[in-house]
Amino acid sequence: MSNSTDGKLAEAVENVKLFLKAAFGLEERATAYVRKQAIDDMDNYMLLCFSDLLGLPNPVSYYTLEMLPYLAEDLVTWERRIANRNSVVNDRWGDFCC
Amino acid sequence: MSRIMFFGGKGGVGKTTSSAAYAFHCADQGLKTLLVSTDPAHSLGDIFEQKIGATIKELNPCLHVLEIDPEQESQKYINDIKDNMKKVVSPVIIEEIEKQLDAAYVSPGAEEAAIFDRLVDIITQYSEEYDKIVFDTAPTGHTLRLLSLPELLGGWLDSLLAKREKALSLKSMMDLGNKNKHEYLLNDPIIGILNRRKTNLERARSILIDQKLLNFVFVMNPERLVIEETKKAVRVLEKYSIPVNSIVVNKLLPDNLQDDFWKQRKALESSYLQEIEQAFAGKNIVKIPLLNADVRAADLARIAPFFAEVG
Repeated sequence: MSNSTDGKLAEAVENVKLFLKAAFGLEERATAYVRKQAIDDMDNYMLLCFSDLLGLPNPVSYYTLEMLPYLAEDLVTWERRIANRNSVVNDRWGDFCC
Repeated sequence: MSRIMFFGGKGGVGKTTSSAAYAFHCADQGLKTLLVSTDPAHSLGDIFEQKIGATIKELNPCLHVLEIDPEQESQKYINDIKDNMKKVVSPVIIEEIEKQLDAAYVSPGAEEAAIFDRLVDIITQYSEEYDKIVFDTAPTGHTLRLLSLPELLGGWLDSLLAKREKALSLKSMMDLGNKNKHEYLLNDPIIGILNRRKTNLERARSILIDQKLLNFVFVMNPERLVIEETKKAVRVLEKYSIPVNSIVVNKLLPDNLQDDFWKQRKALESSYLQEIEQAFAGKNIVKIPLLNADVRAADLARIAPFFAEVG
């Protein structure tokens, strides 16, 4: 009697674990989504701070300069990436395939 | 009595003269007064007929003067950033970034931002030491932008903070499996910088809208365009809840005029004065006559008594 309830409990725990694994994305694909989103958000943040480098007027450009020491490493590649974009459609398409 | 006074108005109406005379009046009353010019084209030195720089100069024991030099301020700010950067990033990157930094301090808005930073510094640093701080500001448009800066930047900084926090929490999810998100946010130097900026701005804002602490005096002449501009400016300031309590009407013509031309001007002036009194009802209106010579340091004592009513 006690053996069979133990067995059922173990099975239930296992199922819950599986469910959590699938739902909260410990799989590769799920992390890839999060990574993509994180990178996009960082890019957007850079755009807000340093849009004047791309020719968009920015009322706080003077104040964002003091963040430069911490963003400088990313800034160089970011500028190249943003300036070399072929098209927005191409860039966005990356979200939906592979 | 307000501790901090701003003098504003259209170009050429006599802001510098009025603020200098007011400061002179305060010093005469025995109040320790600091007179600060925020106009990049300084003219305080011309009134006092001596060189005044970016460091406080003592004219007499009660009257100290200072001219903010925006170029020097922004240069200092950018040099600080460069020094800070040397500690954090590699020399290769610094070389790439350096020209952007050098371009930044001539970019639009940099001058205003530098003046604003220094202004807040002065207010927080010296408001204990001095009984009165009098600011001689640049012509209207410039000043209005300067004073609405906290309002403008506040929203922008908020959205920068929110964006950064979101990006970081996503990053922490990847790196740490969401365990130390809070620590991640706390340790981020950028969030630190943004938060410090925000606190500074909020402090500046609370000073600017404090009726007991700060007051704004508009200087004007009885002329069509000046009246219109002053009306607009007062409306904008009141929209940002910056108190305006006094209006100085400068360069009033004398009463006993003989010539027809001048009689006509005088009649016109009276109608403008009526309009001013109507438009700015409830405010303290100070009338200053036109002098027979340009104002120099020695003449300030003649004008100073007119400011007795200004708080």
